[in-house]
Amino acid sequence: MDAVVSQAPLRIALIGVPNCGKTALFNRLTGSRQKVANYPGVTVERREGERVAADGRPQRVLDLPGTYSLTPTTLDEAITRDVLLGRVANAPAPELVVCVVDAVHLPIGLRLALDVKRLGLPMVLALNRMDVAVRRGVHIDIPRLSAELGVPVLPTIAVKRGGADALIEAIESSRWSGLRSVSEPRWLEPTAEDAEQTQSDLRGVLAAVGYGAPQENLWFARMDALLLHPVAGLVVLGMVLFIMFQAVFSWAEAPMALIDGGMAQFGAWTAAHLPEGPLSSLLVNGVIGGAGAVLVFLPQILILFLFILALEDSGYLPRAAYLLDRMMGGVGLSGRAFIPLLSSFACAIPGIMAARTIPSWRDRLTTIMIAPLMTCSARLPVYALLISALIPARGVGPFNLQGLVLFVLYAAGILAALIVAWVMKHFAGKRQYSPLMLELPDYQWPHAGNLLLGLWERVKIFLSRVGGIILALMIVLWFLSSYPAPPLGATGPPIQYSFAGKLGALLEYIFAPIGFNWQISIALVPGLAAREVAVSALGTVYAMSAGGDDVAGRLQPVIASTWSLATGCSLLAWYVFAPQCLSTLAVVKRETNSWRYPIIMAAYLFALAYMASFFTYRAIAGWG
Amino acid sequence: MFQQIVVAAIVVLALAASVWKLMPARGRLRALLALDAWAARHPQFAGWRDRSLKPRIVRAAGAGCAGCAANVGIKPPQPPR
Repeated sequence: MDAVVSQAPLRIALIGVPNCGKTALFNRLTGSRQKVANYPGVTVERREGERVAADGRPQRVLDLPGTYSLTPTTLDEAITRDVLLGRVANAPAPELVVCVVDAVHLPIGLRLALDVKRLGLPMVLALNRMDVAVRRGVHIDIPRLSAELGVPVLPTIAVKRGGADALIEAIESSRWSGLRSVSEPRWLEPTAEDAEQTQSDLRGVLAAVGYGAPQENLWFARMDALLLHPVAGLVVLGMVLFIMFQAVFSWAEAPMALIDGGMAQFGAWTAAHLPEGPLSSLLVNGVIGGAGAVLVFLPQILILFLFILALEDSGYLPRAAYLLDRMMGGVGLSGRAFIPLLSSFACAIPGIMAARTIPSWRDRLTTIMIAPLMTCSARLPVYALLISALIPARGVGPFNLQGLVLFVLYAAGILAALIVAWVMKHFAGKRQYSPLMLELPDYQWPHAGNLLLGLWERVKIFLSRVGGIILALMIVLWFLSSYPAPPLGATGPPIQYSFAGKLGALLEYIFAPIGFNWQISIALVPGLAAREVAVSALGTVYAMSAGGDDVAGRLQPVIASTWSLATGCSLLAWYVFAPQCLSTLAVVKRETNSWRYPIIMAAYLFALAYMASFFTYRAIAGWG
Repeated sequence: MFQQIVVAAIVVLALAASVWKLMPARGRLRALLALDAWAARHPQFAGWRDRSLKPRIVRAAGAGCAGCAANVGIKPPQPPR
């Protein structure tokens, strides 16, 4: 028995099955803005937040990955169990567990609650989504449930303001504060008899509280009949994705023109008000021409994420996972790989981390290796720049040609991932069968608050990249492009005599067979830090090549007039495959605990990129 | 001359920021620990380091399991031997 002094923060852990509303409740308790979505597996690591109780005592709230039991089958579930048992270094066992149970699907959550109760930790049960449960005709005798479990049971609606007030009041009550005695949680690997006992207890509690299964929603059933249909479902999925890529180009036109014009005017104004010299060149060509060039693509990124967030919130994504399970199984992927791969469309890093939810090592490794082939949002500025510059903005029937090309590029990434997975299937040994067990959430209208919060997060991430690593690298690139000064009597643009110009000339030998000029070759080097840096680097390099100030913010017309279609398409093909992101490789090293896999990944992706660019360039150049 | 000094300072800062941002989180933590002696003489820096900088780096490192001290007991699944 340990004595705990009251001034130390009260450690509260939120636990529950996947997609029961833990993170929404965590946000409600701590005022955080963690990502919430209507599908399982959003949280794959523990998150911590602070709150101060009414009596002034600090409380530390832990949001744990969802789990169905305390016998883990995946890494994220192991994190949950180990945190509860105090097995994690520097993190003693929580003093209070808030077990979040979805009231609509009470039996699933209650089973976990019975497991947690056996640990002997103080517990409160939050009966979440009570509003939906009432609408669906679910009856639960809450006082009886509390009596059966011997713990306080509180109804909550985590997504609504004030929906967790009763819970907050309960965890702030005096019983948890002050000098307390906390015993070590006890846990033994359950035997078959234990599992049977839990099942029997569960049945007893459900009968006692008068729980009845929720009424089936006729609309949900009809929508499932369509969206989960093996043929019609795939057609709908294809249409949804197609509309999404069309919108990225059609809707973004006006705000992009506004930002583009603003950057150009700002560049001209800066040049006019600063005396000619290195400072003016740095600001106009390096900062505005470089970092500013990538800012133009913010509207397109936001439109893409608006669609992804709306799909996440609506409950459609797990259905898409179910739909694609068979297809993915055919190439040796687990259906569980769908959510990690989908996350990779935002960024490969969370996608690779989300692969922790895959129990089989072989399936997890395959998912990690192909995650960078999903088109992340950092590629969007590169694609958008080249498509706008090289593909005419005309219609093909009812569709926008530029949107069509973008759709093809995304599809090429997905197709390449499936082929690589299929090849890996034949190298990585026999696959352990791991069936896709997925709880399909109810459909719901996306919450405007969630969408705005998600978009705001993307704006912050994008702007912090532009103002952070991109800006810093562009200043360094400006220096490398400006010094040393050209010798007396030099005839070419000054950048040709600079460090960057010489490096570009050297790299051109490697990249000339795939149609890249020295400006592209230079841009690929800082582009290793992050893909969109290549756009900024092109902005800086072309601004320096022109030697004037009018290029700042006007990269697209320069590319349109100086690059051939073959060169542009070759660069697009390069970016479908190239592992132009050091952070991704670093995360693969960390997640696999080995250098072997990031090295293999970098090698195969570079080889694929070079081959794809080579054939694209030769085919288009040969065609005329 | 003044412009050149300002530009040189900006470029050096940008270079340092680029190296720092591209350094792995573990390397950044080591660099912070290496500044212990200096931090002892500058309590304001030490306070900022421990309150703001260090937790951010630890979060970045801990974004993958086994990456930070708090998760030392958790290992990712390994390939079958």
